[in-house]
Amino acid sequence: MTDARPIVTMRRICKRFGGVAALTDVDLDAYAGEVLAIVGDNGAGKSTLIKILTGVYQPTSGTMEMDGRPLEMNSHSDAIARGIDAVYQTLALADHLDAPANVFLGNELTHRIAGITLLDNPRMRSEAERVLYERIGVRLPDMSAAAESLSGGQRQAIAIARAVYHTDLRVLVMDEPTAALGPQETERTLNLIATLKAQGLAIILISHSLDDVFASSDRVLVMRRGRRAGIVNTAESTRQDVLGLIVGGADAW
Amino acid sequence: MPGNGERMNPTTAPVASDLKSRLDPYMAIIGPLAMIVMILAFMAIAEPTRYFRLSNLNIILLEAALYLPMAMAMTFVITQRGIDLSIGSIAALSGIIMAFLIKQFGFPAWVGVLCAISIGAGLGLVNGLVITKFRVPDLIGTLAMDLVYRGFALVLAKGLVLARFPDLITNIGRGRLDWFLPIPVTIGLATMLAGYVLLRRTYFGRYSIAIGSNPEAAEMTGIAVERHKIYAYVLMGAMAGLAGVMLTGKLNAIQATSAPYFNLHVIAAVVVGGTSLFGGRASLIGSFAGVLLLSMMINALVTLRIEFFWQSVASGVVIISSVTLYTWLQRKDRDGARSLLAAARTPENRRLLRLSAAIAGAVALLLTLGWLLAGAPNPSG
Repeated sequence: MTDARPIVTMRRICKRFGGVAALTDVDLDAYAGEVLAIVGDNGAGKSTLIKILTGVYQPTSGTMEMDGRPLEMNSHSDAIARGIDAVYQTLALADHLDAPANVFLGNELTHRIAGITLLDNPRMRSEAERVLYERIGVRLPDMSAAAESLSGGQRQAIAIARAVYHTDLRVLVMDEPTAALGPQETERTLNLIATLKAQGLAIILISHSLDDVFASSDRVLVMRRGRRAGIVNTAESTRQDVLGLIVGGADAW
Repeated sequence: MPGNGERMNPTTAPVASDLKSRLDPYMAIIGPLAMIVMILAFMAIAEPTRYFRLSNLNIILLEAALYLPMAMAMTFVITQRGIDLSIGSIAALSGIIMAFLIKQFGFPAWVGVLCAISIGAGLGLVNGLVITKFRVPDLIGTLAMDLVYRGFALVLAKGLVLARFPDLITNIGRGRLDWFLPIPVTIGLATMLAGYVLLRRTYFGRYSIAIGSNPEAAEMTGIAVERHKIYAYVLMGAMAGLAGVMLTGKLNAIQATSAPYFNLHVIAAVVVGGTSLFGGRASLIGSFAGVLLLSMMINALVTLRIEFFWQSVASGVVIISSVTLYTWLQRKDRDGARSLLAAARTPENRRLLRLSAAIAGAVALLLTLGWLLAGAPNPSG
């Protein structure tokens, strides 16, 4: 299923906010071409964990490695520079701009006309069209439509296109990608995850929907109260197993 | 290399939203355009001979020209969710400083003009710094700076009217190119055109929309939000300074109390033109149409020989009607008008009706009481 060596490993990660232990001794391995789902109740530490992975937070203790070398990140842009990016539930799209403008937001392509640097809109449009089709498998009906008029799945595709275009992306964190989507759009997003996985990306999927988790993931990491409650191979486990890990078995009731 | 052979094909976007998105760029000018047509139709009946004259068209364009540069800049400010209430004072202060430099210190006129624009830009920079660095909200920050700038203008000029300027200044304000449009109209159109390039083809324009559309996303993608906000206020200040020069030239005079209503006039023109106060939606062509609409309306009132003071009433009514029309066009279900009576019967609206009736009743009662108790009239003058 996967290469022997993970792209990113996290070992004994702890994170404290003041006196509160948000994470305690969490291990995580992200393999190329694998979807790792992270599930858990609200406040179980999922968000904190991925924020550490994407460089937004720094761990209080613990080690991270990438390709066997120590990985230290001081900001989200450090993570992006190393090929780790995240697509958040609240997609960072400018609703009034079209797809190419959003794909290139903050990294616009330009050309010089008479010594003045101007945006190269035609090239951004063709490049956006290309990356959306070749990497993500999406063709938008109208490339110049404002993002606000697009469907949830199309907006997701734009956000991912932005992530894959600008970096040599290797690890993609998707935070609740299907939360606001209808059944058809959810289906498309799961297909999209499969497409990206086939390209050799390590996908980390945060989701509340066990349907989505079982439909798309290879392994499931269960978080409970800031600790790793368990990790299972999706193919070898049932929903009951995972649910049991999430709520902590009989003693939680 | 699309991965697993499965191709997503999301071409199912509803046709209605497709049509809407195609119409969207033009939506902005439908409101002001409809109002312009209404004014034209009304004037065609009421006063066709005097309104539809070449000389009158010239007057309308000259009036509009003064506001075009500021409307262009204000479009960027409002698109970024900002507002600038200090432009009238910036115009007056820049104009007065220019007047002093030329008349008292003997500066060449062209240096004076460039000084006015640069000083305007500097005052805009102060606005931008107050808003981004001191974190004063745009509305309060520019309102306070409006008082400051107006105060400086009064301190400098006292009650003086500075008049009689070199030809360059009056040409900028009211001159005419032999083979073309009046000079101020040319300047106005040129700034609009430059604004269009800025909006569509530069980082500044793109980021203005992004900042207004989703400030958090703009920040997250690494856009220097504060710097681009400051740029917008600097542009606004420079254009207000230019308007100060144009106003000085148009009247061949400037005083500290000049340009009192620039801010509201310009904001009204921009908002009437469909640029959203909630940010992200910019329409320069709409701002152009908005400026034209307000100028045509004021000119119509003058042509009809309606008392000057009614202009204020008419401006307000035009602004409300075209923004209402615009919002109504934007709405998805447009059956509101048909069921107006039904809407009035909802409990919430019945309460509002009762409140309105109570206020009207109270006013009527007090007026009756005052009339009954009235003594001899006591004129104030």
